[in-house]
Amino acid sequence: MNSLAAIFRQNRASLLTLLGLVLLPFIAGMFEGASPAAVWVNAAGTSKFIQGLAIEIFILALYALSFDLIFGITGLLSFGHSMFFSVGAYLTGILLKSFGLNLWQTIGVVFLAAIAQAVLFGIVLPRVKGITFALVTLGMASVFHILVMSRELGDYTGADVGLQGVIVPDFISPANERLRFYFVALAVMVLAYLLYQRFVASPTGRVCVAIRENEGRARMLGYNTFSFKFAALLLSSITAAFAGTLHCLYQPIVSPNTASMGFTVTALLIVLLGGVGTLNGALVGALVYRLLDFGLRRYIGESASFINGAIYVAFVLFIPYGIVGTWMLKSFEIKKGWERLVGMVKK
Amino acid sequence: MESETILEAVNLRKQFGALVAVEDVSLKVRKNSLHAIIGPNGAGKTTFFNLLSGNIEPTSGQVIFKGRDITHQPVHRTIHFGIGRSFQITNIFPNLTVFENIRLAAQALGADNFKFWQPASAFKKYESRTWEVIEKVGLKDRALTPAKTLPHGDQRKLELGMILAPDPEVLLLDEPTAGMASEQVPELIALIQEIQKAGNKTVMLVEHNMNVVMSVSDAITVMHQGKVLAEGTPAEITANKEVQTAYLGGLYELNV
Repeated sequence: MNSLAAIFRQNRASLLTLLGLVLLPFIAGMFEGASPAAVWVNAAGTSKFIQGLAIEIFILALYALSFDLIFGITGLLSFGHSMFFSVGAYLTGILLKSFGLNLWQTIGVVFLAAIAQAVLFGIVLPRVKGITFALVTLGMASVFHILVMSRELGDYTGADVGLQGVIVPDFISPANERLRFYFVALAVMVLAYLLYQRFVASPTGRVCVAIRENEGRARMLGYNTFSFKFAALLLSSITAAFAGTLHCLYQPIVSPNTASMGFTVTALLIVLLGGVGTLNGALVGALVYRLLDFGLRRYIGESASFINGAIYVAFVLFIPYGIVGTWMLKSFEIKKGWERLVGMVKK
Repeated sequence: MESETILEAVNLRKQFGALVAVEDVSLKVRKNSLHAIIGPNGAGKTTFFNLLSGNIEPTSGQVIFKGRDITHQPVHRTIHFGIGRSFQITNIFPNLTVFENIRLAAQALGADNFKFWQPASAFKKYESRTWEVIEKVGLKDRALTPAKTLPHGDQRKLELGMILAPDPEVLLLDEPTAGMASEQVPELIALIQEIQKAGNKTVMLVEHNMNVVMSVSDAITVMHQGKVLAEGTPAEITANKEVQTAYLGGLYELNV
């Protein structure tokens, strides 16, 4: 009992956030006068709309989290990250639509494909470093982008129009069972986040951080750094592919843009907004990114992307460590400040 | 003094284009000895160390450790054989704490590196080893500060701690006192001597401070332009005419 209370005290902010997210659909409904019962049966209204926006944020957060693991934690700059996501998205759609697999079989295949693409990236991993790795991974992702855009595969991928007409199983249909979808997406994101936190605190994750800091030294200490980088790639690939699966199930259409370099930049941007290498920065970053995009588009319209860009530049200039990174720095400083003050008073 | 050879270089050669940095160096390091390598800048001392530790591949020649050819082993294997190596230019994990720097060194040789479902703090044996080493190198008060904020002298101690943590048999120390304030040098040298004597370790030392070298070494190898110029006890080296004219003469006052 004592330890439960301790766990609660240590993670108060996270647990309250989680509680808030669980209650969010019902609270959003209440503002409109919709009863929790109406929200429960997926009645149309603000709550359903908010749930939809939140689902998109959860999926983005999952995707950005997977990027933070290789970029922020392990220090690998991959420009092919959109491929990790879009392989999951396209494969899910194609298997459900063209091959008639059920959802569980599809998830199994996506899992295997995620391992396969991590192996593909792993093959070049020990051969190229730094910016060369970025370019080679960009090349691989570009090949995939060209493949999904190609007319020859158009029957499966929908070419430049995008993949549409995927029949999502009824029990998780984003139209009729949105609340359930909301909780599934939330649960996947929370579980991935917890798993990532555990990974980073583990002996394996600590070595990944050491590789980011000074790979040569890590090797000299006796670590075969390739295995650790590959472990991070593998976990990242699986997470991103499942984010892609959720994306395909939720969206009526999988756009080929999710395979483009632009979508990799989205992950980079979210992680920069939230704070590189902080993990929860990816979640906060996804929230800010999606809300900024949504808000500006809604209230400003055409010139939204220009203002959006200006905001990102301001972010990099004024809070280069991102939201969570800066918060962590400041709270440390403030704590130090109080300690100094207490020390002065005691004297 | 035992005379068993623990580490041996056989005609070790490294060529960078036309430059021969290390030219067919053969050398035997006796077990439990403190063997110093001296020589002017550019003599090839650090390159020679890099060859021994596997950081670079030799053009030709062999490195034999305890009778086993380890010449072409990847660099991350070196410490697994029992050879630890420190660097002339401080080479640490700058944003991690002193504790974490040494803990990573302690964890490396264990079998727990891929237990990703357990927190690193659950492995008490590495943590207790880390505290042991931190105490030994005298960084206990600094354990939780980020390594990059340490003063240079303390970073050198950290560097030493990082190679002590896995408890290697042979320590290759590349100018451990480089850039240290002169009053800190005796302390670190005393520590190195203590480690060598108490733990029955073999130490190879590159050092510029002649007084230090002459007082602590069991054997000295003088390198000059990539070649071995002379080898012997401190007394023999001091008496060696060739060494005096080529290297020591006029530069250092030797009192033995």
